Amino acid sequence: MTVGQIQTSSTPEQGPPRPPSAPPRPGPREVLHRLRILQSTTSYVACAVVALTLIFAVLTSGNFLNTSNLQSIGRNSAGLMLLAVGLAFVLGAGHIDLSVGSTLVLSSVVSAKVIVAFAASAGAGWAIVIGAICGVLAGAAMGLLNGVLVTRLRINSFVVTLGTMGVGIGLAQVITNGSNVIGLPTVIQRGFGIANWFSIPRPLLLSLALCLVAAGVLTQTVFGRHALATGSSEAGARRAGVKVDHTTIGVFLLAGTMAGVAGFLDITRFGTTAISGHETTMLQALSAVIIGGTSLFGGRASVLGAMIATFISTVLLAGFVMIDVSSFYQRIAIGVVLIIAVWVDRLRQARAATT
Amino acid sequence: MNPTEGTPLLRACGLKKSFGQLEALREGNLIVNRGEVVAIVGDNGAGKSTFISCIAGALRPDAGEVFLNGNPLELGSIHAAMRAGIATVYQDLAMAPELSVAENIFLSTELRRRGIAGRLGLVDQKAMRARAAALMDELGITTLADVSAVAGSLSGGQRQVVAVARAVSRAGQLIILDEPTAALGARQSQIVLDTIHTMRERGLGVVLISHDLPRVLEVADRIVVMRFGRVVAEVAPRGQTVRHIVSLMLGEESAAKESAAS
Repeated sequence: MTVGQIQTSSTPEQGPPRPPSAPPRPGPREVLHRLRILQSTTSYVACAVVALTLIFAVLTSGNFLNTSNLQSIGRNSAGLMLLAVGLAFVLGAGHIDLSVGSTLVLSSVVSAKVIVAFAASAGAGWAIVIGAICGVLAGAAMGLLNGVLVTRLRINSFVVTLGTMGVGIGLAQVITNGSNVIGLPTVIQRGFGIANWFSIPRPLLLSLALCLVAAGVLTQTVFGRHALATGSSEAGARRAGVKVDHTTIGVFLLAGTMAGVAGFLDITRFGTTAISGHETTMLQALSAVIIGGTSLFGGRASVLGAMIATFISTVLLAGFVMIDVSSFYQRIAIGVVLIIAVWVDRLRQARAATT
Repeated sequence: MNPTEGTPLLRACGLKKSFGQLEALREGNLIVNRGEVVAIVGDNGAGKSTFISCIAGALRPDAGEVFLNGNPLELGSIHAAMRAGIATVYQDLAMAPELSVAENIFLSTELRRRGIAGRLGLVDQKAMRARAAALMDELGITTLADVSAVAGSLSGGQRQVVAVARAVSRAGQLIILDEPTAALGARQSQIVLDTIHTMRERGLGVVLISHDLPRVLEVADRIVVMRFGRVVAEVAPRGQTVRHIVSLMLGEESAAKESAAS
């Protein structure tokens, strides 16, 4: 605007005032509209999971639906769900965490080493408890490191977590000298990892409980609102008084902690670590969280959507195994699902921009 | 009223701020008294927004001091400024487009649930919606039917009104408005002007940045003119013409003469 304009424009209005009787967006309808979008994302995903399951059921003449297969899918989903929900917070806050997969591996290694070290002296039970705590703390430490690097050094989270992804897996290899930790007490599997509670895998129940708490944290707490505000507009949130750096460290800490729990679940399932078995885990979690309705651009996140969308890749992989598709194709499938997920997010973004 | 009756509400002296080679603010001096509306005018790039950002804590000045009721204000801290009772409407409104109007109004000042739930950080969405709606009513804002609508779905003018409402609800001492009527229609502009009057009557200090000189002449008690990062003149609006103020902004007349006249 030039000074000349200032002189002439005595009333800088941009159109006639709207009559109060006819607001542009009727309130209740707007709310309903938003709810419907949210619900539809989650329910579309749920439908997709059911559809995939049915397709594989038909292709395997019903074998896909047997209890042990479904339980195995549940077990596969348990850890992945924790990663996806942690990522929902990080993405919601406008960042990304590529390191969750290697944090999982590092935590599982720390946990397993501690359990093996204490098993003889403290007994299997206490060793497992101490190991679980150490594994979760290792994950939390990785998350804290990410958060501090992103906020203090002001480096893009993509680059920071790409770096810590290498650090995490490297540390895991250093600790174990590259070979998986063996000699864990078998009770870790029998008592928890492969045990069920009313036919539902126990690790899955633990994950579901943690994720539901996380859903409450996202939608109902100051921290959750600040995380989304930060992702929506970091500069705006900062000047509105949000402690953006605290919040950012918080979301990375949460994602790391979730990955730490997932690392512990991993050893309870297999009775050993799987250092080289998680190369695609982060991609699976990332696809799940984006498919589930969390925006790659920040500001919008859905924990419930991420939880359900986790099953897309686990059902897909279980199905591929059952119909004898080579594991090479499984990787292709995970890559394709991720790209589709981001594309869908872009479409959603475009639709949001036009409404 | 209080022991600091004699001291001005706000005194900013010698504020400087550079961005690399660019000296955006060379000499920022300002006094605002209680119940006074001070307008800052100047051409684009005169340093107005930098000046108020330094006062509001959004920018850390390279030099200078700010006193509120005679007490030095911690510079470069939004939280210190907020705690001291300074509320600001920024030009870009500082909103989270994905959050609702109510959530934006209470962003960083969320109402919590009672008892242990509140301590755990649980917010009281219902109370925030109710209070936000009441705030809208209080300010006579009728164009915004629903405080649950996300801020991104509002028109520019509606967003601006929400930003003003938020600042009003937070201001304990001083309210700073950077171009609060830029995107507003006549009706909404009037609401903002009425709000400025209300703030003044409550004894708050008001700092107003605006390009809308006729309105500035109407609402301000004092007009501070900035040019090239400096406060170059200070005039009383009475008897002033828009043309005269523009000439001060552009430096076409001797600024010293005009200062003397005020």
